[in-house]
Amino acid sequence: MRRVTALVSFGVLVTAVVLAPTFFTHYRLFQLALVAVYLVALLGLDILTGFTGQISLGHGAFMGVGAYTTTILVVDHGWNDLLTIPVAGVVAGLFGLAFGLPATRFAGPYLALATFAIPLSFIGLLKRFPHFTGGGIGKNLPQLHSELGLHMNPSVWFYAVCWMIALVMLPLAFGIVRGRFGRALRAVRDSEIASTANGVSTATIKSAAFGISAFYCGVAGGLYAIGITYVNPDTFPIDLSILLLTGIVLGGAGSLYGMVFGALFVEFIRISWGPTILNGISRVHHLDTHAPGSGLVVYGLILLVVLYLAPAGAAGVVRRLMTGRSTVAGWSKPRSTTPSDPATGVEAP
Amino acid sequence: MKKTFLLIAAALAVSAVIVVTAGATSSATPGVTAKSILLEGTFPLSGPASGYAPIPVGMAAYFSYVNAHGGVNGRKIDFRYEDDGYNPANTVQITHKFVEQDHAFALVGGLGTEPQQAVRDYLNQNKVPQLFVSTGATTFDRDFTTNPWTLGWQPDYEAEGSIYGKYIAKNFPTAKLGILFQDDDYGNDYLRGLKAGLTQQHLPQIIDAEGYALSGNPPATQVAKLKASGADIFLIFATPTPTIQAYVISTKLGWHPAHIFTNSVSATDAFLTIAKKSGSDNTDGTITVNYLLDPANPLYNKTPGMKAYRAIMAKYAPKANANDGLNIYGVAKAWTTVQVLTAAGKNLTRAGLMKAARNMNFTVKAKKANPYTLPGVDVRTKGNYQFPIAQVQLVQYQNNTFKPISKLINGRGA
Repeated sequence: MRRVTALVSFGVLVTAVVLAPTFFTHYRLFQLALVAVYLVALLGLDILTGFTGQISLGHGAFMGVGAYTTTILVVDHGWNDLLTIPVAGVVAGLFGLAFGLPATRFAGPYLALATFAIPLSFIGLLKRFPHFTGGGIGKNLPQLHSELGLHMNPSVWFYAVCWMIALVMLPLAFGIVRGRFGRALRAVRDSEIASTANGVSTATIKSAAFGISAFYCGVAGGLYAIGITYVNPDTFPIDLSILLLTGIVLGGAGSLYGMVFGALFVEFIRISWGPTILNGISRVHHLDTHAPGSGLVVYGLILLVVLYLAPAGAAGVVRRLMTGRSTVAGWSKPRSTTPSDPATGVEAP
Repeated sequence: MKKTFLLIAAALAVSAVIVVTAGATSSATPGVTAKSILLEGTFPLSGPASGYAPIPVGMAAYFSYVNAHGGVNGRKIDFRYEDDGYNPANTVQITHKFVEQDHAFALVGGLGTEPQQAVRDYLNQNKVPQLFVSTGATTFDRDFTTNPWTLGWQPDYEAEGSIYGKYIAKNFPTAKLGILFQDDDYGNDYLRGLKAGLTQQHLPQIIDAEGYALSGNPPATQVAKLKASGADIFLIFATPTPTIQAYVISTKLGWHPAHIFTNSVSATDAFLTIAKKSGSDNTDGTITVNYLLDPANPLYNKTPGMKAYRAIMAKYAPKANANDGLNIYGVAKAWTTVQVLTAAGKNLTRAGLMKAARNMNFTVKAKKANPYTLPGVDVRTKGNYQFPIAQVQLVQYQNNTFKPISKLINGRGA
């Protein structure tokens, strides 16, 4: 029964992805392509935070590592951009693994603080080695263009590439969080002591989760660079990492399908919804919504409202709508032995 | 795992269907109707560079004023601007929206070297004018052959550097120069300009030039070396934060050079006040350049341009602080935009707009000078000369205002 629901959900997503190009403009498809990019990043972060219980405030930097890997290979070494994607994932994954090994000594908020250092040092390193990274001025990539002999609008092409990769990475994530390995991840999240007592090496599991999540973010970063066609340190600010974490909370940490909603939020809040809401407010109240920082206010308000009304994120809402129960495959939060989810601090419904 | 592989296979097969979908392109001159012209731009309204937010406010105020007086060739200007937070990734997305969704006629005033560099290829490939970018990076003026749809506006950093060079060669021909510069395109633009302005003869006056990387460390060692070099003129070619740090560090080291030159981007009253409050007593006497009427200085209150500016701001942007020079920067830029649109004629096309922008002659001689720039400043482009504004006046900071200390100087020697 659970498998069937999961397959149906996947089918619905695939159908939506295939049909979207007939309904949306090229610009919207470009945005939806970036939704797929964020989806890949959020899936990775969800494996680490939602399933393994390790909070990271630094995964924007792993996207950055992937983006720079792609950029340097394409611009300085003449690689085909699509071929750089797996390399971007592996390089970022190795960075994640390297960070995960020492980081496993930290727990809870201490780990979060340690991960906060990743984007800070990443930006510093980019500026420290300008001959390699392009420094503050960054690097331009070739403009988007369809490949493989196809003559398509560049935005449509990018949309197709991003969603094809996302629709591979999603089932892959299901594979990762199922089975022995997945149980070990959840065991570490729910009780490190209990999992150690049962023969699970928490250090290995945590490092592996860091590596896998960074791999996902690296793939996302490679695609991001191809789509944005430019990288510099400002492209990967610290608030990107925080926005990713917000995305998994709003999508529903510990739910993989929920990440689709998280990704929609991450993409649209910055570019579309925020400004629309601000314009609405300025019409009603004649407030100066172009004042610096007013966008952040809206962003914070949405976060507060969503967390108040739907503490389990979008996945929790869908779960309730579908069944009134809390255990639907794919949508449900994996069963927890503790009363609260360590990722969100929210009680499981 | 078997299920997973099945799912992946299914995903690949089905999403290959997407590839079948193809796109169509639109027609006519985008963004122009019988009654309106759509102009758009990205600016940092939030984030670390949000100090520049008054620029589009000034621009919008001037366009509203023009619309209230009949518009341009019978068309009203619809000017829209959006916040990119100085993040080039946002700039790219919003620019795609401007071009593909809103079908803007042209992009005007987009702010920031890196954000504008991020969209330059895209706009040139799509033949959308990227006019009057709000940055002085020389590449936006100099590289017009590779980027025919892109043009800057303000004096470029190289020209500004050369003006300091010329001034020093003339007025302090024996002084010893110590330079702090940001070791990237920005700082090197200034350094290259300075050397050109000094000319070969005065190059030996530079006794030390210390570069710093924008990696977060305050330039303490560099300033200490400059002090030790015995320089008596200190030139700061840096972005605002390191500039403020340089003022504070030099004071703490007890270094009081006879003169300090600071590039115009960082030498505003606001930034110098921060340096002063952070413990520097070196800010008074700072020399920099200006090319616009300065609303903070009562000296210009009687000029027609300042009167018009204050009237426009009072009516169309009543909440803005009209004493902030960034507003008049916006108004002056919008004035140039309107002139170029007018010159492009009734039958408005993007190519026509670029032709007008590449042949600007808004000069004192042609009796068409920009009223919001300093008297005598020309806005001029022609043929291989694509540096719209190149004249500036040296000004010195005393008691929270900048006092003119020279006549207009041309940084491009034309």
